[in-house]
Amino acid sequence: MKLFSLFLLVTGGSFAQSPLLGLLSEELHRNFQVLSRKADPPAYYIAYAVTDQETANVSATLGVITGNDRRKMRVLDVTVRVGTPALDNYHTIRGEMGHFTAGIPIALDDSPDAIKLKLWSETDRCYRLAAQRLINIRTNKEVRVADKEDSHDFSREQPEKFAAEAPRLLFDDAAWAARMRKLSAPFAKYPSILNSGLAVTAQREVKYLVNTEGTRVSHGQPFSRVTIQAQAKASDGMDLATFDAFTAADPANLPKDAEIAAAVDKVASDLNQLLDAPLVDPFVGPAILSGRAAGVFFHEIFGHRVEGHRLKDESDGQTFAKSVGSPVLPEFISVTFDPTLRQAAGEDLNGFYAFDDEGVKARRVTLVDGGILKTFLMSRTPVPGFESSNGHGRRQPGAEVVARQSNLLVESTKQVPEARLKEMLLEEIKRQNKPYGFYFQEITGGFTNTGRRGIQAFKVIPLVVYRVYADGKQELVRGADIVGTPLASFNKIIATGQKLEVFNGYCGAESGNVPVSAVSPSILVSELEVQKKESSRDRPPLLSPPVISTGASK
Amino acid sequence: MRGLVLLIAGALALGAQNNAATEKEQGPILRALAEELDRSRTLQLAGVETPYFIEYSLDDLHGFAAVASHGAIISSNATRLRLPRVQVRVGDYGFDNTNYIFSDFFGRIGGARLPLEDDYGVLRHHYWLLTDRAFKGAVEAIARKRSALRNVTVTEEVNDYAKAKPEALVQDLRPISMREGTWTSLARELSALFCHYPALTGSQVEVESSFSNTYYLNTEGTRVRYPDDLFTVRIRAGAQAPDGMPVRDSMGVHARTPGAIPPQPALERLVRELASNLTSLLTAPAGEDYSGPVLVEEAASPQLFAQLIGANLGLTRKPVAEPGRTPPVPSSELEGRMGARILPDWMDIVDDPTQGEYRGHQLLGYFPIDLEGVVPRPLTVIEKGSVKNFLLTRQPVRGFEGSNGRARLPGAFGAKAPVFSNLFVKARETKSAQELKKNLLDMVTQRGKPYGLIIRKLDFPTMATPDELRRLSAASGQRGGATRLTATPMLVFRVYPDGKEELVRGMRFRGLNVRSLRDIIAASDTDNIFDFIGNGSPLPPAGVAGYVSGHTVVAPSVLFEDLELDRIEEDWPKLPVVPAPALASCK
Repeated sequence: MKLFSLFLLVTGGSFAQSPLLGLLSEELHRNFQVLSRKADPPAYYIAYAVTDQETANVSATLGVITGNDRRKMRVLDVTVRVGTPALDNYHTIRGEMGHFTAGIPIALDDSPDAIKLKLWSETDRCYRLAAQRLINIRTNKEVRVADKEDSHDFSREQPEKFAAEAPRLLFDDAAWAARMRKLSAPFAKYPSILNSGLAVTAQREVKYLVNTEGTRVSHGQPFSRVTIQAQAKASDGMDLATFDAFTAADPANLPKDAEIAAAVDKVASDLNQLLDAPLVDPFVGPAILSGRAAGVFFHEIFGHRVEGHRLKDESDGQTFAKSVGSPVLPEFISVTFDPTLRQAAGEDLNGFYAFDDEGVKARRVTLVDGGILKTFLMSRTPVPGFESSNGHGRRQPGAEVVARQSNLLVESTKQVPEARLKEMLLEEIKRQNKPYGFYFQEITGGFTNTGRRGIQAFKVIPLVVYRVYADGKQELVRGADIVGTPLASFNKIIATGQKLEVFNGYCGAESGNVPVSAVSPSILVSELEVQKKESSRDRPPLLSPPVISTGASK
Repeated sequence: MRGLVLLIAGALALGAQNNAATEKEQGPILRALAEELDRSRTLQLAGVETPYFIEYSLDDLHGFAAVASHGAIISSNATRLRLPRVQVRVGDYGFDNTNYIFSDFFGRIGGARLPLEDDYGVLRHHYWLLTDRAFKGAVEAIARKRSALRNVTVTEEVNDYAKAKPEALVQDLRPISMREGTWTSLARELSALFCHYPALTGSQVEVESSFSNTYYLNTEGTRVRYPDDLFTVRIRAGAQAPDGMPVRDSMGVHARTPGAIPPQPALERLVRELASNLTSLLTAPAGEDYSGPVLVEEAASPQLFAQLIGANLGLTRKPVAEPGRTPPVPSSELEGRMGARILPDWMDIVDDPTQGEYRGHQLLGYFPIDLEGVVPRPLTVIEKGSVKNFLLTRQPVRGFEGSNGRARLPGAFGAKAPVFSNLFVKARETKSAQELKKNLLDMVTQRGKPYGLIIRKLDFPTMATPDELRRLSAASGQRGGATRLTATPMLVFRVYPDGKEELVRGMRFRGLNVRSLRDIIAASDTDNIFDFIGNGSPLPPAGVAGYVSGHTVVAPSVLFEDLELDRIEEDWPKLPVVPAPALASCK
């Protein structure tokens, strides 16, 4: 704790404060003075969070530009808590946690009048909703038997002071447009690919947060990403898709053309091969998940179940509610969430942040140590036995904060070289007397390949899957869906590889979409259940593609 | 005329008509669409179904929108969009895949976007896939429609699509000048004026500039390209009266050419006018229930005709549905009332999309050709007070087949929606404004009333939230009112026998509908001109997005013998516990 306060002293003193933080603070105190003393019920906590985003996008298909825009926005989220930390307006009733903030846009420059008026009117609106809901909660509490859990609604945390601006967004639209045109053109060589595209996004984000406990932080993060996607339809109507993505904090660090072109080629040729690949048959047997696939898998199957607020929600599965201190994974596996980590395996991580969206300092949290569950991902919403936040309260602007994942790191003490892992798969196939096993190279899921919008959460969709025969021969297959109780699969992990792979993406849940990463070695499981994916009945297009030269030939 | 995402309006006379443009002059877009359209005729499924009609359209939009409040920009976005629409009809004009409850469900292409660069090949590639999807959807829909018809009897034996003559209207593209900086500073500077009105705690100014080119082609041979631009300055403000009643107002200034937007000093006057009206409203007394003569003047008169006449001129058709699943289709109050008297016999109403200007005022409802490629003509809708014509699209409705070129918005069940354009309300017997007011006062005196009412502005298009509209609708139903929503009056004045006027607030109409118009007893010799952007609903929201249509209504002031207004009685929210912040800067 000493070190911690020393850090506060240094950072608090060495950074110039943004004028916005001052404006937020001033209006916060003016409102709190009155709402904490004269209002009934009084407010005991108010926070203002502003997310300032500047985004540039360029997208292209078949050598022509499909989009090129820049957006700036500043969104305000207000939190007003009335009642007491023990019971306040955020109390969960029958799984419903209350939604107060509206994520309204505020002035893009630091114009005092315009900003203060919005802060005031939004505080008033949130206060009214908060007071109303607290009355409903109290009425509800009186007529119902007390909930089993007796934890508070809001934790006490250390106030933080920090001010840092993210670097200016440097993005050359014209240069990227030329690159996107050139890089998207080769898809034209594959007539069976119906839709394809490349997109690049670069973003500068600065978050500001002040609260009535004295927290005053601003922190930021640049972010950039290139995505490549392609879709086709097999002759039986099955929709097929492949994608790839590159992420870097600074757009200057995104890969050079040659590397992107190679990825485009692989996305296109994988898809082309998938079109002719045989369909899977239902199967139970051994499989290897690549590091990226395993990362997605851990995120979806494990990560979402250790988000603390789920233990408060009576309607939730609460898989791990009573498992703290007990083994939940094999003893050679540990899982850590570390939002302070900027890079892993040479790649910038999407789940990095300095403070969470409740102004709590980010920190490394070991969730599973040697297979034993130690704690949960915590926001400032306590759950029985865990009274404090561990810096994982996150949200998309406009949503209320809940506990979310950051950078998920899978660590293993039973690592073998990749070649050995494949040998072990073949041994397992023979031992179980199976004709083949599976190798999952690419999975997509709660992560998305399309940037910040249109995200499909909670779905694990294998994209590139191989059947691996006992003699080591590999065969691309299509239509594989992972089923059964995936959690059980984790207990069947036999060993892991050595090389870490990174999956960067966005995770969608109650509090919206937040950037996350998963870092994992490949894993060998003794048993995974695979079934045939449900397929669309639509046939491929009736007419052949119009035979013409496209922008690709320019 | 219609718009996308931002807004839109009709074409202008700027691009000289050039119907004889050569293929080369028509550019890659028309050529790509025409050639892929032609190839799509060969589509066939199950050896039976083939398209009998295909239409392609493309909306090519350059848009810019900014919002400012108290001198600061809150948002500023440039939009570049190309949106395709593809419709495929299988069967024949008598019976096809449309006018069926799930017509729009199959093969939908919602959200599709086209590349922004003119590439012949890539455009064809996109239209190839869109047509394939639309065709398969059409085949599925007609099969389902046939099977649904085995279980239901149809009362209306009406064809599914009307024939129309092919048109060629390829206008020149005009230069586009976004002038984002000019629009942004206009928004900033207009919004800053509100610092002089500290009682108005919420205010903003929105500016939108959208240049759009519309392309339309069909397999009957119609080829269309015309510019379809819209420029808007919208002012909104609101506050809470001392008794808690929320009070607010908005004003939209629209034009089809940037030059027709009034200069900044004129816009500043409008901001001040709106702000000072609203400031007066805050302290104005609440109105009381009223039944008696009402003079409707200024913007309120055209606003009233837009709602009561304009929104009722289209006829709707019930789609074929599964038994017991007939969807609620809003029907016109004038349906089945062809020839019925709804206005005094000295009044006529003409819908005229062919006029671009009226007495120096640019008309927002002008358009050269509709969404189905039909060229509109002026249409007398009310003649000598009686219903004479309805607005028609190519969708036949009971008793009417054949479009009169009013398909201005996408509609439901495979059809387009009929929408009015420039509505001219004409009175053959008129009086001066002074005489009208005198008539009103005479009636007040005769009936022994303490005062009469003058209404000068309605909340139309409306600023009400969906929640408020629900309450408004419920209230008008409860108190024996019309089931249809009508806009709340914003500026209502009591006028006393001595001619003195007093602003009141918190009134709404009771039972106002088309029938109320029969109580008009006099009209002025002056015109009130009102422009607005609609979305096909009787009470469109102010600042609506998506596909929209521009309208101008020209109407005299009118004196009603009897109208009823209620005082709005609701539980108003309390005033904020915290007073509004003091504003620092007011230059």
